[in-house]
Amino acid sequence: MASPLLEVKGLSVSYGDVRALTDVSLEVEEGTIVALVGSNGAGKSTLLKAIAGLLHASNGEVIFAEHSLSNLSTKHRVDRGIVLVPEGRRLFQTLTVQENLRLGAYLPKARANFSESLERVFGLFPVLRERAGGRAGLLSGGEQQMLAIGRAVMAQPRLVMIDEASLGLSPILTRTIFNLIVALNQQGTTVLVVEQNVHMALKVCHKAYVMKTGQIVLSGTGEELLANADVRKAYVGERGSKL
Amino acid sequence: MSYFLQVVINGILLGSMYGIAAAGLSLIFGTMRIIFLAQGSVIVFFAFVVYFLFAKAGIDPYLCLLIIVPFAFLVGLGLFYALFQKATALEDKNVSLLIAVGLMYLIENALLKAFSASPRGLNISYASAVLVVGSIRIAYVPLGLLGLALASAAVVFVFLRRTRVGTAVRAAAEDMEATTLQGINSVWVCAISFAVGVGLAGVAGVGMSTVYSFDYSFGFTFALKALIALTLGGLGNVFGALAGGLILGIIENLTAFYISADWIEAVSYGIFVLVLIFLPQGLFGKRGLVKKV
Repeated sequence: MASPLLEVKGLSVSYGDVRALTDVSLEVEEGTIVALVGSNGAGKSTLLKAIAGLLHASNGEVIFAEHSLSNLSTKHRVDRGIVLVPEGRRLFQTLTVQENLRLGAYLPKARANFSESLERVFGLFPVLRERAGGRAGLLSGGEQQMLAIGRAVMAQPRLVMIDEASLGLSPILTRTIFNLIVALNQQGTTVLVVEQNVHMALKVCHKAYVMKTGQIVLSGTGEELLANADVRKAYVGERGSKL
Repeated sequence: MSYFLQVVINGILLGSMYGIAAAGLSLIFGTMRIIFLAQGSVIVFFAFVVYFLFAKAGIDPYLCLLIIVPFAFLVGLGLFYALFQKATALEDKNVSLLIAVGLMYLIENALLKAFSASPRGLNISYASAVLVVGSIRIAYVPLGLLGLALASAAVVFVFLRRTRVGTAVRAAAEDMEATTLQGINSVWVCAISFAVGVGLAGVAGVGMSTVYSFDYSFGFTFALKALIALTLGGLGNVFGALAGGLILGIIENLTAFYISADWIEAVSYGIFVLVLIFLPQGLFGKRGLVKKV
């Protein structure tokens, strides 16, 4: 079998004296959707930031397409095809939709294919075409999430990491966003998603990891975890969990 | 009435200097989140450079722009990488601010040591040339300041709106981390905006040399004037900063004419304080930049 697209091996990250991740390992196969679930403060965002190169790992390594990313800046990680859609979307509110998308394709390789990427984004999110000239800050919550994902797609990523895809969105919009994530995946982009709506995440993903206090405590396919009693109790609203 | 108009016009012309300096402060604040207090001393430094280019080499101050602006841009890049690169990465912006204060005194004292405390001014052949429109008289040299200010603001505007790096500067001013996540080297973006800000100090230095009699100590007061202009205009908007400068110039001239020149400083700083209390986002600023807690 081919080696996974992303491999995290024994990663540890600390904020000052506080250990945020301890010996975290996971694998993301090319072409899949992998979900990362767990309660607040479990270290999911920290893990994504470390993979994106925003945080330095004290131990362990991240391997992407068979190359170690150790000591590579965020810029070089983006150039190799890893893009993070941060929690809270973090759009450039005063810039136009088009300018946000243009910044997503800032690096030379991505810039060379700007027009094709733009068509791809407008194909996935037609509403962005209509709003292209308007300020990003004037978009609705769902549209902002679409733009945040679209901005990441502009970089022509092999792996898109989405932190809290449905944060602040209604159940209907959450479903819409997840349908779009599946559509993006079907175009060949690998997705690693952190999601608070555990039920939704487990339903669409090929594989999932459960995190607790900075460690991976459980992993399996979406169906396996959905069937797991502890997972159901802890995250899908049933009582009496050990997780 | 024509007195009033004359006073206002003179105010606009002198205020253009504050406007250029404030536009520089605004750019630097945008990405680095500090008031670059050394801006005034840097302007005086460039005014000295123009003075020597004029006095020793006979180069017209406006022709000096061609040398000074690229030179100032490079000085800006050098200063950024030598002094501010590490500090900008820190969350505590006071470090960068204190470096700027240290730089200000360093430049002031170096200028004092090198060129003594005697004031300098240029003897330009066309200094007394005057444009007469009805009863209004406008000297060409201060009119040149307004030209410099408008041209600089236009260039900066086009840079920010129409270039890729300019767009990245606006993005970084809004969210540095999100800019990094686009694969953009945000340290480089800070360096560029700082260098453009110092480039504007170069333009202001040319302007200063043509109208003021200046000495080594001129910088700090000037930086404070630019800060008042920036506060009036509001952060995050180059044309706002320019307008703030013009308004401050008008206020100063009206004060001098209708009250007394002794009151200029008191009135300027009084307005500074009032604006901060009642209109912290300034007249043209983006509200988002001054957050309520």
